[in-house]
Amino acid sequence: MEYIELIPVCAAVIFGLVLCLVPRKAFGKGKLALHLVSLAGMLVAAGLTVWAMNYGGHKCEHVYFELMKGIPIVFKVDSLGCIFAMVATICFILAILFSFKYIDGDNRYYGFMLFTYGALIGLDFAGNLVTMYLFFEMLTLLSFPLVLQTKTHESIMAALKYIFYSLTGAYMGLFAIYVLYQNTTTMTFVYGGTMDPVKMAENTTLILIASMAALIGFGVKAGMFPMHAWLPTAHPVAPAPASAVLSGVIVKGGVLCIIRVVYFIVGSANLAGTWVQTAWMILSLVTVFMGSLLAYREPVLKKRLAYSTVSQVSYILFGLSVFNKMAFEGAILHVIFHAFIKCALFLCAGAIIHETGKERVDELTGIGKKMPITTVLFTVASLGLIGIPPTGGFISKWYLAVGALNSTTAGVLKFVGPAVLLVSALLTAGYLLPVTVKGFFPGSDFDYEAKENKKHEAPMLMWVPIMILIILVVAGGLFPNVLKETLETLATVVVKGV
Amino acid sequence: MNIFVASLVFYPMLGALISYLIGKKSKKVRDVFACVLVVTEFIAVIACSVNAFNYARIISMVSNSVIPGESLIARYAYVLDFKYMLPEICGLGLNFSVDGFRIVYALIVAFMWMMTTLLSPEYFAKYRNRNRFYTFLLLTEGATMGVFLSSDFYTTFIFFEIMSLTSYVWVVHDEKKASLRAGETYLGISVLGGLVMLMGIFMLYAATGTVAFNEIPSAIKALMVDGNMPATIIAAGICMIFGFAVKAGAFPVHIWLPKAHPVAPAPASALLSGVLTKTGIFGITVITLKIFAEVDAFGYVLVAIAVATMLLGAVMAIFSTNLKKVLACSSLSQIGFILTGIACLAISGGESELAARGAFIYMVNHSILKLVLFMSAGVIFMNLHKLELEDIKGFGRKKPLLNIIFALGVVGIAGVPFFNGYVGKTLIHEAIVEVHGVPGYVEPCFLLAGGFTLAYMLKLYICIFWEKNNNLELQAKFDGMKKYMNIASGFALIGSVVIIPIIGIVPNITADAIMDIGQRFYGIVGEEKLHYFAFHNMKGSLISIAIGLTLYFVLARWLLRGKDANGKKCYKDYWPAWLDLENVVYRPVLIKFIPFISGIICRVLDSLVDGFVVLLRKTIYVERKLPYERPEGNMITHYYAVVVGFIVKILNATFLRNKPVNVDFEHKFALINMAGRENGKMLERTLSYGLLLFCIGLVITVTYLLLVVFL
Repeated sequence: MEYIELIPVCAAVIFGLVLCLVPRKAFGKGKLALHLVSLAGMLVAAGLTVWAMNYGGHKCEHVYFELMKGIPIVFKVDSLGCIFAMVATICFILAILFSFKYIDGDNRYYGFMLFTYGALIGLDFAGNLVTMYLFFEMLTLLSFPLVLQTKTHESIMAALKYIFYSLTGAYMGLFAIYVLYQNTTTMTFVYGGTMDPVKMAENTTLILIASMAALIGFGVKAGMFPMHAWLPTAHPVAPAPASAVLSGVIVKGGVLCIIRVVYFIVGSANLAGTWVQTAWMILSLVTVFMGSLLAYREPVLKKRLAYSTVSQVSYILFGLSVFNKMAFEGAILHVIFHAFIKCALFLCAGAIIHETGKERVDELTGIGKKMPITTVLFTVASLGLIGIPPTGGFISKWYLAVGALNSTTAGVLKFVGPAVLLVSALLTAGYLLPVTVKGFFPGSDFDYEAKENKKHEAPMLMWVPIMILIILVVAGGLFPNVLKETLETLATVVVKGV
Repeated sequence: MNIFVASLVFYPMLGALISYLIGKKSKKVRDVFACVLVVTEFIAVIACSVNAFNYARIISMVSNSVIPGESLIARYAYVLDFKYMLPEICGLGLNFSVDGFRIVYALIVAFMWMMTTLLSPEYFAKYRNRNRFYTFLLLTEGATMGVFLSSDFYTTFIFFEIMSLTSYVWVVHDEKKASLRAGETYLGISVLGGLVMLMGIFMLYAATGTVAFNEIPSAIKALMVDGNMPATIIAAGICMIFGFAVKAGAFPVHIWLPKAHPVAPAPASALLSGVLTKTGIFGITVITLKIFAEVDAFGYVLVAIAVATMLLGAVMAIFSTNLKKVLACSSLSQIGFILTGIACLAISGGESELAARGAFIYMVNHSILKLVLFMSAGVIFMNLHKLELEDIKGFGRKKPLLNIIFALGVVGIAGVPFFNGYVGKTLIHEAIVEVHGVPGYVEPCFLLAGGFTLAYMLKLYICIFWEKNNNLELQAKFDGMKKYMNIASGFALIGSVVIIPIIGIVPNITADAIMDIGQRFYGIVGEEKLHYFAFHNMKGSLISIAIGLTLYFVLARWLLRGKDANGKKCYKDYWPAWLDLENVVYRPVLIKFIPFISGIICRVLDSLVDGFVVLLRKTIYVERKLPYERPEGNMITHYYAVVVGFIVKILNATFLRNKPVNVDFEHKFALINMAGRENGKMLERTLSYGLLLFCIGLVITVTYLLLVVFL
């Protein structure tokens, strides 16, 4: 099978096209046919993804054709891509299940969800910089309609902001790719980097500038300061399940691109101890603090969660920036756990909005009495994000912080970093726990008999996907060593020369 | 044995979930289930202890080397150190250990939970959300057990965090304003403390590569340069101490304690005061012994904190006029006593047997005493639903059983000879006197605080059990209350209170045995037995009692009493309301000031790029009017209209002569154009429109390329 990696992408795209191009009427009046087609499309694509991941034992590499002389399109299935793809698959399936009750039978919405999934899988399986760049752009453009979904003035402006920021970032990335192309032995991803040592010595400054450009450029998608402002604008206006995948999974596309550029092209050894590393660490720490503080001061729940994403994704970036094996493992663990937790939180917010129409945190008094299951799930997810054991968030934070403290190249920032992470965790408690506290402890004057406070749980199709995510988070926290071997092997080959 | 240890922790946690499910169906069955669960847990702990001692006996029999220790029990306790690991759980694995100290504390935890749970059905009879309370009560039991049994900081931290969060639910249980506010403080400071502690654990682990209690001293020794401890280790230790001090309620992070303990339901207050604060002490002890054993300055800092806590709590207690508030402040003060003992141990370089044994027995005694006192307060509350002294004054008259129980609690905690509190107090007092280098201010402060203890306890006791209520009708009603508690509650109280004289009257049998079992944990192999009832040992206690009586008559009865509306004498709270560290310092700084300042900075950072874009649009990309603007439409619509108008004119003249078309095309096209422009405006005028077009091209290219590949 030569084109194994493209098969899931194509499957997602074909189903997406069917959903987008076939008129809504053709699916009949009810939603059932539409839902079945969407789910079938999603499951087929997911199944093919899993099949592609296992097909070559994480070692596939295929050169498809040459775009131009010396610029081939390459696909590759390695364990890093597999982890990202797996996370994306789980989150997308659950988000689509959740959508059935949330979205009013809009065929194009499901179509673009599938497109986005396809682009994301393509990005995860991309084998060199150019291929990665193509799918990165595609991901931006195909997820753009998800933000536009509600078609209000606010959402159009937000979507434009999204695309403006993303494209600016992508072009910075493109610049980096131009420069790196000149100085590498190959554009294909190789563990530990592919820089030509002679050229590296000659053009050090240029390469460092290009690396920084790539970091900021791809960091846009990951919501890294200074180009993060699209995220808290765009994510909340999308419908909740779309926000869930945007915040949970799509931002990780930016993280993956950064890992690919830093660890697979430039090489950690070439960046360790340079100003690029220092700048990167500082930018990510500023983002961590800023995101959580703004979330703390934000009254609208979904916007609060979006700011939280800004902060949390930079935990990952910080973990990557210290060039330490353990921190790298922590970063990957946080990719996984943050995806699940943030997905769950956005879905909970969606369930709450769907059932009560309330969007602001201060309106949610007594929500625990009204929607107990959703609120309990929200609480566990919150604890996970704060990093309270035994949830996954604690494990990833443990790895991140201890790794940072063990870093040999981070200087004084190795102490500042974990401290900032913990301050941010405190703020995380400050912005998430009030929902739980107000929800379950509304005060002794709370009117239990009032009509609007009667128990009114979200439909099962909404809370079951959230529950699955939560179970994954808690199970991941209890038994993180399931992933240990994969991650350790990966970290050993990826983080080199530090 | 192994399975036993883990099940001590996880059995109540599992039971919590089951009790929740049962409670959904039937409240009665749930109450019974919870009681059965805690009783079986207690039995399991006893079985586990017996089992452990049995192992220890066998080991000490087959061992060839000489095992130090005078009594048999001391020798068994010396070899008693079993480890149990649940590998892989939570990454590093959970490590438990069973030694003498752990056995004693596991017993106390199980005992206290048993007694409070037995009291709960009656206490909560009229409460809402009882199911929630029981669930979290049992969850916390497992977590607390986990903290005490843990043998590395990782495990400690995991259970410590769970315990902090689950016990929050107790504090806010009645959801009154004061409870919610106290709960907020408790939750906030618990999370803060937990995270600071975590930072310490991070640093410790990163520097030494281990978190196991036993391995830390040697790991630190390996890192020492010229006998100096690396700064990171000291910082790590301070961070961890902070986290544990929060839970223990040491000054200056005690602020949550006097607020949270009184508002919680009485069974919960008993546990908060009796056990949860001790988890903090447990942590501080471990850090003192394992990390700061070689740092001389540490003991002096700790002793200052301890004395401050001891006096602050005592003064606050005597001012307060709320039964549970007095008891809570008393806990604060007593924590100070225990910390003094630990500080003496630190100053002595970990060698003072008196300090170690004193701190340990003091902990044990305080747990039992607070159990008794808070449960008595609970009995009063469940009858009257009031706690202010003036409202409950005289309730205890003609109720001999409650009177005796409370009186035993009073004399116990005041350190009167022949009651349990005396043993710990005497030992710590001896340690202060004998350990070389303890600062001179400690002993007088210690005796003074001891005096205060007697004074505020007497104030409570005499007010509730001897004085008559100012409102005589109320007093008559009180006197008529003969059935003020049911059998289960009575059993819980009596079962707890008998321990007080048992430890107090024959300390050489009971207290010494407890200390012999626990002392190994402190790295002590004690042989020193005190003659508790010799005069020179009683002297300190007698001085304290004398101070206490003076303070009672001068402060509590004279200075701190005023006149009520009818001119009768009553207890008044003269503590200035504004003088509250939480409201004066912590809340303004942590909730208002710092977030405000950093909020401004972050907002600026947040809008940096957006601001730049806006700036560009106001300067370079400013929207201009067309130079030759038409009244409506533009050039294209104009010419188009002229052309179409011309054609229509011809058509009108030829084919459509019968039905001529009369339309103002200039206007029509202008309208169409305007509608189009309105639609396109948003997209068109944005900078990103051009970029979007480019990307559409890109996608088409890629699609084309993919097609080329496949076809």
